[in-house]
Amino acid sequence: MEIHAYEKFWLAAALLLIVGLIATVSYGAVGAGIEMIGDEGGTVDPEALDDHPKFGDPGVYESGEDEYDVYVVAEQFAFRPGTSDPIEVPANSTVTFHVTSADVIHGFEVVGTNANTMAIPGQVATFTVEVDGPRDYGILCNEYCGSAHHAMEGTMEVVPEDEYDGPEGGD
Amino acid sequence: MATFVDRYPEEAAVVRATFVVAFVSLGIGAFFGLIQALHRTGYVRILDSVDYYTILTGHGVLLALVFTIFFLLGLFTWAVARSLERPLPDIRLTWAWFGLTTTGATLVAVAILAGLIPSLGVSADVLYTFYAPLQAHPLFYAGLTMFIVGTWMAGADWFLAYRAWRADNPDDRIPLQTFMVLTTMLMWYLSTIGVAVSAVFFLLPWSFGIVETVNPLLTRTLFWFFGHPVVYFWLMPAYLLWYTVLPKLAGGRLFSDPLARVVFVLFLLLSTPVGIHHQYLDPGISEGFKFIAMTNTMFLLLPSLLTAFTVVASMEHGARQRGGEGYFKWLGALPWRDPAFTGMALAGLMFAAGGFSGMINAGMNINYLIHNTLWVPGHFHMTVGTAVALTMMAGSYWLVPQLTGKRLYSRPIGLLQVVLWFVGMVFMSNAMHRAGLAGVPRRTAEPQYQSFDFSTALGSVGELQAQIAFGGFLLFVSVVLFLFNILLSSFETPMESPVDDSLPAPLSGAEGSPLVLDDLRLWTGIAIVLVILAYTLPLGSIVTDAGLFGDSPGFPVLIDAVAMLKEVVA
Amino acid sequence: MSIETTREHPERGDDPDDRPPGYVVGSGPDDVERELSHDEFDPIGTLGIILVYFVILAVMWAFMYFVEFLGRGITVVG
Ligand code: HEM
Ligand SMILES: [Cu+2]
Ligand SMILES: [Cu+2]
Repeated sequence: MEIHAYEKFWLAAALLLIVGLIATVSYGAVGAGIEMIGDEGGTVDPEALDDHPKFGDPGVYESGEDEYDVYVVAEQFAFRPGTSDPIEVPANSTVTFHVTSADVIHGFEVVGTNANTMAIPGQVATFTVEVDGPRDYGILCNEYCGSAHHAMEGTMEVVPEDEYDGPEGGD
Repeated sequence: MATFVDRYPEEAAVVRATFVVAFVSLGIGAFFGLIQALHRTGYVRILDSVDYYTILTGHGVLLALVFTIFFLLGLFTWAVARSLERPLPDIRLTWAWFGLTTTGATLVAVAILAGLIPSLGVSADVLYTFYAPLQAHPLFYAGLTMFIVGTWMAGADWFLAYRAWRADNPDDRIPLQTFMVLTTMLMWYLSTIGVAVSAVFFLLPWSFGIVETVNPLLTRTLFWFFGHPVVYFWLMPAYLLWYTVLPKLAGGRLFSDPLARVVFVLFLLLSTPVGIHHQYLDPGISEGFKFIAMTNTMFLLLPSLLTAFTVVASMEHGARQRGGEGYFKWLGALPWRDPAFTGMALAGLMFAAGGFSGMINAGMNINYLIHNTLWVPGHFHMTVGTAVALTMMAGSYWLVPQLTGKRLYSRPIGLLQVVLWFVGMVFMSNAMHRAGLAGVPRRTAEPQYQSFDFSTALGSVGELQAQIAFGGFLLFVSVVLFLFNILLSSFETPMESPVDDSLPAPLSGAEGSPLVLDDLRLWTGIAIVLVILAYTLPLGSIVTDAGLFGDSPGFPVLIDAVAMLKEVVA
Repeated sequence: MSIETTREHPERGDDPDDRPPGYVVGSGPDDVERELSHDEFDPIGTLGIILVYFVILAVMWAFMYFVEFLGRGITVVG
């Protein structure tokens, strides 16, 4: 079996490339601190979301100083909150989303950002982001969820701290 | 001198039949593609947006599953018979798998297209990924199961042919093309277990109402257990043509037979334990499993990177034999007027670009950037939609004459066709990638929203839409030209040598390579172990989370869609 | 043997349509001027092409990862 010297060289270069890719991704995870959606969110009964302490009344909850939890229910064909009323959080805060679905699989994408997750019935997608200055964001469903999938959208408003009048979720 | 149809008339008849099914699907699927490209971008909306998803399900199933796999069935039948130099063991078995796969595919297509006629009460608008708890008509899952079982029978047919050959040739190396077919089929057997379990144990009983609920994450994970290897099932026929036919078309010889074997073995080993890379953003699967899938996926780049070298080197060999000189000037000595050559070479070039966007998809955390955006269809129209589909079309210009004994109707039209496909895809796919970076979602009839706009770094959304629509139009014209050329070829008069069908021996043959390469049992064993390692824990935790049958009742896609829409708008 | 070592050419003279030489699909080998064996052939052009590809991949990957991705506003950090 003859393997040409150039081919051996390319094999080494290809392995180098692969190792480089894995190293970059690892740097993103460890150095830049980007975490993946994982299994920390736990599970819920998709048929009994109304009885859930938070998904029963989804919305924004304050969890600490400048820290908020946002519970979002995705369902054919709206986000609660998000679609009828925007998700409202103050600027320069840390926001943890908890997203689940009441029916089929949906997507939850904050347009033009890296905040993007699947919403799977029975599972809770939990992820934390840092928001900075005031700005409005669009939210859309990026997984086909039925005949009006294209109508499933919402908004998130990051408002200046001094205009923020407290979380809307809970009571 | 005679060609394939003279030597193996019965096999040629089966291959012709599979190609007919493949090309009919290609025609319908491409028409649907055009409808989508015009609808999404808002240029022409001949259908209600609700029906967009029926069309999209048809497009995905007819092109990604029916066209590609029927072409594969024919190509592999041709490759096995010609490389073993013997007919298949029993042509009735061959027709039986053709019958089963065709019936299955027809049932699936009927279930999907019935969605356009609401009065029938049948719908399968679940897209080609059929994620539960969206629920299709049982016909859809039943047809799909038949289709898969048919492909298993086809694999058995080829293995039986190999066994018969082995009995007569105890000491020979497995001929290269047969080696490629067998390793690909072993990968297919291993990976289709996922979709078969999902359909037979969970989705079919649930669609019939025998069980009430499903575990959506479980069926989704089983789908992707199959869903990544299926990508390589599409690609392996293209690789078979690139390795064994393209060098000849270029006027050269395959650079290295042993390396081709190494590449196919690597695909058998690594194609399956990576499926979780389609689920990087799924809750319920821990980050550790995602990391393992990511590293496996990156190593899966290796066989494709090696292929790039071997294939280009084989072309360079051809060019130099044809008198090519210099560092890069030899490129001009390639037979660019041959549509079979040019189509495959352009397909390979586009695959190199698709490889890049695939690296982004595979990059775990960077997947946040593009997940489920239009970037993803941009990516796979370069890979399966061009590397595979264009290689198959180009290959047909060389293969079909061998199956009919008739020459190709027009070589210049063939050349125009492959170039048109390439240009159309550059427009459509590039614009899709860029739109994806702006956040435009895939699988969406009207990606135009009321409460926000997309913003692009360069250019504008309108310009991207124009490119998608224009590219889609060129692609559709290209398919029409292809079908027209093949159809007219069937009216030519039979002739002695409709095509030059000889294949030269590789430059570096199999003789000196380690025998272990041909040890299919060993490689299958290792492949199974890798799958068990990659999947036991994630599947275990998914089942522990919500049980085998989960908590999700079905959401049939038939529910009165119009009423629902009104509710949303109100 | 799976792959014939001899190369046969279709006889072009008695072609019923008088297609010009080289018109047949797959006739690339007709114009071969010299046979190059494994030892006589160094794929130097291939090496060049593939190294250019390598550089493009590396640069675009770095751009996409560090500029497009890490440069985005809202990113998942926990
Ligand atoms: C005439 C040529 C083609 C055109 C104009 C075209 C157009 C499109 C468009 C615009 C989409 C995106 C739809 C959306 O996400 O809303 C799409 C999706 C898709 N296309 Fe094509 N396409 C063509 C050929 C092909 C070929 C040859 C293949 C594969 C062999 C293919 C496989 C797919 C698949 C698998 C999807 C995704 C379906 C899904 O998301 O469920 N297409 N196509
Ligand atoms: Cu949706
Ligand atoms: Cu994959």
